[in-house]
Amino acid sequence: MANHRVGETGLTDSGPSSNHHHHHHNIPYAVLHGMNVPQSFMHQEGPAFDFGELEEAIVLQGVKIRNDEAKPPLFTAGRPAATLEMFPSWPMRFQQTPRGSSKSGGESTDSGSGVNTISSKTENQVEPESPISKKTSSLDQQQQVDMASDISRTGTSQNQSAAAKTPQEKRRGSTSEKQLDAKTLRRLAQNREAARKSRLRKKAYVQQLESSRIKLTQLEQDLQRARSQGFFLGGCAGTVGNISSGAAIFDMEYSRWLEDDQRHMSELRTGLNAHLSDSDLRIIVDSYISHYDEIFRLKVAAAKADVFHLITGMWTTPAERCFLWMGGFRPSDLIKMLISQLDPLTEQQVMGIYSLQHSSQQAEEALTQGLEQLQQSLIDTIAGGPFIDGMQQMAVALGKLANLEGFVRQADNLRQQTLHQLSRILTVRQAARCFLMIGEYYGRLRALSSLWASRPRESMMSEDHSCQTTTELQMVQPSQNHFSNF
Amino acid sequence: MHYQGDYYWGYYMPTRSIGSDPMERVVKLASEKAVVIFSLSSCCMCHAVKRLFCGMGVNPTVYELDQDPRGKDLETALMRLLGNSQPVPVVFIGGKLIGAMDRVMASHINGTLVPLLKEAGALWL
Repeated sequence: MANHRVGETGLTDSGPSSNHHHHHHNIPYAVLHGMNVPQSFMHQEGPAFDFGELEEAIVLQGVKIRNDEAKPPLFTAGRPAATLEMFPSWPMRFQQTPRGSSKSGGESTDSGSGVNTISSKTENQVEPESPISKKTSSLDQQQQVDMASDISRTGTSQNQSAAAKTPQEKRRGSTSEKQLDAKTLRRLAQNREAARKSRLRKKAYVQQLESSRIKLTQLEQDLQRARSQGFFLGGCAGTVGNISSGAAIFDMEYSRWLEDDQRHMSELRTGLNAHLSDSDLRIIVDSYISHYDEIFRLKVAAAKADVFHLITGMWTTPAERCFLWMGGFRPSDLIKMLISQLDPLTEQQVMGIYSLQHSSQQAEEALTQGLEQLQQSLIDTIAGGPFIDGMQQMAVALGKLANLEGFVRQADNLRQQTLHQLSRILTVRQAARCFLMIGEYYGRLRALSSLWASRPRESMMSEDHSCQTTTELQMVQPSQNHFSNF
Repeated sequence: MHYQGDYYWGYYMPTRSIGSDPMERVVKLASEKAVVIFSLSSCCMCHAVKRLFCGMGVNPTVYELDQDPRGKDLETALMRLLGNSQPVPVVFIGGKLIGAMDRVMASHINGTLVPLLKEAGALWL
């Protein structure tokens, strides 16, 4: 940039500022103003517009306007704000300025930044040179700089952004070409220094903006995901609002558990098909059992937080809810479902399974009767007598309600023990098949729920058909043909 | 089912040592019968465990601690024994501690409860 002046005034300024122009290639004008700039544009090669130069030019514009050599008031005073404010106010400022200064002549080969060639509102004989104009035309600026005119005029093939220097020269030239005395030089040097600092600040700011933008988009994505999960679960469970935090947490954990379940099931499937050794298969089976242990653990916490959420089955799908027993599946039903499909079994195994079914039925009966007594006692408490001592009655009722948690816990304990016992009775291979069947069964039940929810409700025929399906389900014999995808 | 709560303890215990250690009492009572359940009449889980044994054809001996003058001490002793916040229900079979409801159900599912009952003479096949 110095060379222009060299040409004109014989001065050289190949100071650090020139080097800096190389460094700030990638801060196109548009970025600072938060405009949507295509990536390619942002990473364009070639010297970017040099704001320092621009500032200098503006300063010198001001100098020229006031016909005053001495000050760059805008430039030094209140700089941090000024540098950014300057751009919006360019049009105004520059409208006044260009007087016949724009003599577009040569081509400025450098300054590939966008700002340069904004067609000036005023007159501007400058033709945006190709490298610049192509890039800027996409920007659709309103700020207009008269720089282009000056740029073109230089015609030098400096690879630094010569832009800013030229207007300055031109201004200089238009007023008095030989007025570059020491004072002015010093001032210009100061300006360059200030410009450099300003550029650094801008760069830091832009980088900050960029990283914040990335963070923001990530946050938005996370929020979207969480919200969609929440809505999905809400839809699944039937209620969107009025869900306690303990229940919401459990629902989220349960949906994650379901995803894990899919993974475990495919492991089982591939393990069985691959005819792995028993010890390898044992590892997979054990991990599936631990997977179930985990949901029981989660349910313990959920029972403590919101027992009604579990016991009413709001965490499951409607079809599952239909067969709900004390906040989960009924173990004896599960065994009934499995018995026919676990062939071939040894006689000892058959006895073991039937005895398991029998004892789980007895345990279920006992728990059911205990729960019934709790319900009866609760009814007596709430209904009992004139509601004189309401609060006392409520307190007693609350105390009784607290026992619900214990029953759900015992029921889950029963479920867990049943699964463990199954794995003890069966061989590794049988256990793998058994757990796969269990997973598939509940998968189908869940699928049934969604199909039911989205069924067309028109004719009586379909109603009858659905009745039939329900009875079939009650027999707990899943048909092999349907839902094979699930 | 034999409810011991309706009678004074003295009736059944010829030598009544005053201030005997509650834990000793627990152990003593537990070893006297084949199946012993410590319970509270208002407790629904106790009701469940009683129904479980009755459903199996067992005749357990039940001590309702809320009907025992020194029941509170026994409750504390049982809580210490189990390390639990719930004193009841607690089940002893053949003098041996089985535990609270979760242990009872687990042992029933894994098939160890019935042999124990038979061993103690509470079940005949």
